[in-house]
Amino acid sequence: MSRVVAGSRLRVDPVACEGVGLCAQVADRVVELDRWGYPVLAADLVDGADVRAARRAVRACPRRALWVEEPDASS
Amino acid sequence: MTDTTTFPEVGTRVRGARVLLSDVVLDAHGPADPTGHARAESLTAHLDRVGPRPTGTPALVEVLDRAGLSGHGGAHVPAASKWRRVLAGDGHLTVVANGAESEPVAAKDGTLLRQRPHLVIDGLLLTAEALGARRAVIWLHGDDRGARKALRAALAERPWSPSAPAVEIVDGPVHYLAGEASAITQAVAGGPALPTVRRRPEPGAPRTLVHNVETLARLALLARGYPPSGTRLLTVLGDGRAVVEVDAATTFTELLVDLGWAEAPQAVLLGGYGGLWAPWTRLAGLPVDEGVLRGEGLSLGAGVVAPLGAWACGVKQTAGLVAYLASMSARQCGPCVFGLPALAESTLALADGRRGAGVDRLLDDAAAVEGRGACHHPDGATRLIASATSTFADDIAAHAAGRPCRGTAEVWPGVSR
Repeated sequence: MSRVVAGSRLRVDPVACEGVGLCAQVADRVVELDRWGYPVLAADLVDGADVRAARRAVRACPRRALWVEEPDASS
Repeated sequence: MTDTTTFPEVGTRVRGARVLLSDVVLDAHGPADPTGHARAESLTAHLDRVGPRPTGTPALVEVLDRAGLSGHGGAHVPAASKWRRVLAGDGHLTVVANGAESEPVAAKDGTLLRQRPHLVIDGLLLTAEALGARRAVIWLHGDDRGARKALRAALAERPWSPSAPAVEIVDGPVHYLAGEASAITQAVAGGPALPTVRRRPEPGAPRTLVHNVETLARLALLARGYPPSGTRLLTVLGDGRAVVEVDAATTFTELLVDLGWAEAPQAVLLGGYGGLWAPWTRLAGLPVDEGVLRGEGLSLGAGVVAPLGAWACGVKQTAGLVAYLASMSARQCGPCVFGLPALAESTLALADGRRGAGVDRLLDDAAAVEGRGACHHPDGATRLIASATSTFADDIAAHAAGRPCRGTAEVWPGVSR
């Protein structure tokens, strides 16, 4: 089971991203592509299926442009 | 185009005591070299005027907090919260005085560096001492030779101090994004001067604190026990540019009348090319006070005030500005590389009254770009467009209905017609 931390988000580094688009293929529930082929990400990961999809997207990215960010424990 | 309105009678001009600089007139574009003569304050004159620089200590953060000092580069982030973020880390610290004023109209930072280099250096050294920085850097726009000359002369006047780091002057690129904080952070660490995304920092990672030079000059006064100053430094476009220091209670009407505007503009671009349009009817009675303007959904940003004459076409003017912003992308992020030219094209289509062009399409294009770059460059363009659609709503409706007006765009620095 994937642990879901409230407020977790899939993030993209738009500098590293080259619009390859594999993320949207493996995780279409949390990634859409814009008209130019660059990812538009879900606001929040709300359940285990979202988190699993986000991790698939992170692994699939050949540019290592994606990461899952959990809210800062200190803030 | 709106009807020409005349200014109401202006009573007493609201002018506070100038604490930072004397007003100058500059060419319409380029670095902040005054058309007249303005000498940099010498170290002796500086010390006679404001007294010796105290030593920087972390307790200074409380002074910044009480004074409510916020960043004068445009974003108005409270200085104290930047300090606290730095104090929470432990990697090697570089503090940067950001003098790279890349908005084509803006010249108040360049003017400050030319007139009061010692005040800015004091602010930088106070910050470096207070936070235990290893490096202190002054970052300049690549073509700002006048500022570099004034700073080198000022540094040469200063005795060596064992407690503060040596000040490095670093020339950035000549580009709209040269003053962007994440680009500076990457550049002073030895990388390219291009915006980056901050992923979660590793413990012990090098830290960089970037403050605007005006912020540092104000900090140098606060550290000496001066009360928070109620003035604003503004660059006002007109016949050339004027850099002025005015009391924040000064209204926009008073400001323009004082600078010789005989006729009211139809609208004003506030903050810079990545700023916001405001109709004159709304702005005329408002003060040049960031707090009041924020309450109205406006901001002075980097202190640029660019009035648009009553005869000009705001839609065409905006199309030129968006094209300029598109040309100034760092070409790193897809949504900016493809999105800004698309935005520029749909703004131009609207200005030309082409078939199929409309506000909905334009705002759609803007929404596709908003918040999706590594830096806020694309957001500057989308906010500019959103403010244009409300400020020039009547004109835009006429253009979209195939009745483009006969007004032209004004010639502004860097913007082609």
